[in-house]
Formats: sequence, structure tokens, C-alpha cells
Amino acid sequence: MKYLVMLYDAPNIRESMSPELIEQMQTLLAELKESGELVGVEALADPSRTRTVKFPGSVPAVTDGPYAEVKEQMGGFVLLDVEDEQRAIDIASRWPPSVVSAVEVRPLMNPGADPQ
Amino acid sequence: MTDRQPLGELLRDLTPQVLGALAGRSTDFAACEDAVQEALLAASMQWPADGWPENPRGWLITVAERRLHDAFRSESARRNRETHEAALAVSSPHAEEPSEETGHGDDTLILLFMCCHPALSPPSQLALTLRAVGGLTTAEIAREFMVPESTMAQRISRAKSRIRATGVSFRLPSEAERPDRLRVVLHVLYLVFTEGHTSTAGPVLHRADLTSEAIRLARILHRLLPDDGEVTGLLALMLLTDARRGARTDASGALVPLADQDRAAWDHAAIEEGIALISATLGTVAAGPYQVQAAIAAIHGEARSAADTDWTQILLLYRVLDDLSPNPMTRLNMAVAAAMVDGPYAGLAIVAGVEQEEGVDLSHRIDAVRGHLLEMSGDLPGARTAYRLAAQKTMSMPEQRYLERQAARLERETE
Repeated sequence: MKYLVMLYDAPNIRESMSPELIEQMQTLLAELKESGELVGVEALADPSRTRTVKFPGSVPAVTDGPYAEVKEQMGGFVLLDVEDEQRAIDIASRWPPSVVSAVEVRPLMNPGADPQ
Repeated sequence: MTDRQPLGELLRDLTPQVLGALAGRSTDFAACEDAVQEALLAASMQWPADGWPENPRGWLITVAERRLHDAFRSESARRNRETHEAALAVSSPHAEEPSEETGHGDDTLILLFMCCHPALSPPSQLALTLRAVGGLTTAEIAREFMVPESTMAQRISRAKSRIRATGVSFRLPSEAERPDRLRVVLHVLYLVFTEGHTSTAGPVLHRADLTSEAIRLARILHRLLPDDGEVTGLLALMLLTDARRGARTDASGALVPLADQDRAAWDHAAIEEGIALISATLGTVAAGPYQVQAAIAAIHGEARSAADTDWTQILLLYRVLDDLSPNPMTRLNMAVAAAMVDGPYAGLAIVAGVEQEEGVDLSHRIDAVRGHLLEMSGDLPGARTAYRLAAQKTMSMPEQRYLERQAARLERETE
């Protein structure tokens, strides 16, 4: 089962991140890599670098930044392939709380159907 | 030499035999597995260029053993020589085929038991079985499971170190533990099958490779254990289920339910083979869950139409299956059969029972079956709501499309 773990953090969190915190996250990622559960991990650039493409009148139009005024933005994501949802939640729960304010765990759709 | 087996196919057939021969003589399974992979690579490069050896199996064993020795030698240059000499109980490399001709099958069987060892997690069992017994490359397995190669490589190497850490030895399980161990092997093969089968829908993603790999492995196991009813049952179940593959989706990749499938598009040769297998085993041994499921699939396979199906017999078999291994999924299927025999309310009562059980991880299935049965009973708004709920909860894309379509159809009909 694949899960997208979305990490929401406060802007500028990275400035204030201690080496210990960074190490803590790297240890967690190394462990997931070692267990064969890590499919991918990426950090996102600052929200101000976002470009939004909208389709007014079916014509794509590009604007700067996200429209929604939100304090917490997605700062990065981890793609996991784990046995069940509980395992994904357990992993998400291990993120250092001083780095993320919330973590969303969302299952991926399966491209196939179950046997019938 | 024109009727020769294709190289890739031959190498995959020989993989478990070569690995089995090596693993029987060395305690370091991971090193054996690496050595076999290197020998296979050497063969795929050298044989097409230099011609095939007289004895492909002997050639591979000799080369793999040499690689194994080389690996230990370079390893021991760095580390303590004696421990590795002790780990390597291999005599000198053989120039010829080892004489134990009868041992090939046992080696493959031991290998299967080893890869499906209960100390390994199911994903590890799956990956290791495909690699060590199936002879698939890590890249191929990674592609099948849609994960990066590094992720799959890690899973396999973890499985191998787990084997080393738990001290699993290369031998057949004892008579006493054998039934339990065989159950795990069958389950792993079944998982390989469903993994392939679940994703054959849609024009984009075809993973029929895993399905045929599972069938190939089940055939090997059936050849090794022809008298085991559950092994036969599993092979029959796979054949009978896979036979419907061509009719399970329409041209756009959308799901077609069993009742609406074009039965002419079923693979009737596979159905015949499955029916023959299951008929030969039923009644001769105490039936197990795979045999019963195969028997149900055989009844569907024999029916000329959904209406022509012997639902009474199917209902009976689901009851047997639920007694053998109680499972909410079985009871949901039973609900559909009960509705066909005794009407929709009989089915809905079973669905309500399943819903009340704790720990049911099937809520989208419950809603989907309820939608179907409510529609049968004439409650179209109720059916529509149930389909919508199921569509929201399912994580299968083709299924979601199918359920949305059912809901939209009922919406039009009730307007």
C-alpha cells in the first residue's frame, strides 16, 4: 500500500532547525530506506516560489503564489510503500513535532481492480 | 537447435535449481544469491556469442561456485579468513554436473520454503520469491510493484540478511511444521497472482507478467507436490480466474462485472485445465480453502450465462469456505449468491451481519454489494447512495469509475 505523507510546516522553519533535528529526520529517512519502505522523499522550495496555473475560460493563466491565505504550507512529502495504514501513521507520528505542525497521510489510488 | 527454449526462459527455469545447489552447500544464502545472479548475467552475455554449453545447468553451477569462492576470497582478504572458510562448506568447483540428478526438485522446493520463511515480512517474501525462485531481476520486480529499483533492492537485501540473522538453514521443513510452512508458500504465490491480476485493468497498466509468473511458480510447485490438494487447488484457482482476464475490462479499460462479461472472450482452454485439475483433486483429499475457491470459479467457468449459473451450488460452497476459513470477504460473496438463490433480502441480511463485525476493513465492498442488492430489490435511491459511498471509499481506480457509473445510471433512471 502506497501512502503520501504530506509534511506541513511553518514558513521559515528551516532557518531555525538545529543540527540535532536535521539528524533526527535523516536517521528516520535512512531507516525507511533500509527497510525498503521509502519510495521517495522531497523537500519543497519556499511557498513564494509557487506558480499557480488556472483556467479562466479554458485558457491557462499563470499567477504567482498560491491563492489561499494559509499559515501552514506543505513543506515536503514522503512517498511510502508500507504494509498497512497503521504503519504509515506510525511513521508519520515520528516526525519531529518542532519541525512540522501537522502531517497528512493519504493513500494512493490503486491503478488496478481487485479480482472478481 | 531451432526448437530450443528461449534463453531468458531457460535461465529463469534454471535459477532455482542452480541457487538450490549452491545454497545446499554454503551457509551464506545472500552470497549464493549474488553469485547466481552473476552467473546468470555471464550466461546471458556469453552463450549467445560463444554458443550454448552442453550442460547449461552444470555450467551455471560451476560459474556460480567460482564466483562464490572469489567473493569469499576477496572478503577474507579484508576480514578474518577462517570464519569464512568455515561458512563455505563447498568443495572445489565442479567442472561437471554434480551427480545428484534427483535432487533438483527438492532444491527448488527448499528454496521456496526459505524465501517464504515466516521470519520475513510478506513484502520481503514476495520479492525474494520472485527473485530467487522466479529468476526475475530486481529491476523487473521493482517495475512490477511500481517502486524505484533501489527500494526493491533494499527490500531484497533486507530479506537476505534476515535469513542470515535468523539462521534459517537450507533444508526441508520437518513433517510437523510442513503444513504451516506450505500454507505460507501458497499464500505468497497467491499474493503474486493477485498483485498481477488486480492491475491488469486499463489500457495503460498491464501487469499480466506477474499473473503468468504466479501461474508458472504454481505449476512448478504442483509438479513437485502433485498429491497436495491445496497446491492443485491454488493452481486451478489461478487458471480459472485468469481465464476471465480478457473479459474483465472493456476497450476503455472500465471494469465489466462477472454477470455482464462476454463469455466468449474467456480463455476456455485455461478453464478446461482448471476444471480438470480441481475435479481430479476434489473428493480425494480433505478440501482446503483454495480448492473450494477453485470449485466456485469452476462453476462460473462452466456456466453459459450469469442466469445459467448454478447459484445453489455456489452458495453451498461459500458456506463450506466460510467454515474452513471465516472471512468477511467470503461472506460478502456469499451474500450475492444468497440473493441469487433466495432473493435480495436474504443477501442484505448477510451484508448487515458482516457490517456489524468489528475490524472489518471492507466498508467500500460492503457498500458496493449493498448497492447491488438494493438495486435488485427495487430500492433505486438506496442503491445509488450505497454506490456513491462505495465509490468514495474504494482505492481502486477502475472500481471507482465503475461504481460512479452505476450511481450515475441509477440517477438517470430515477429522474
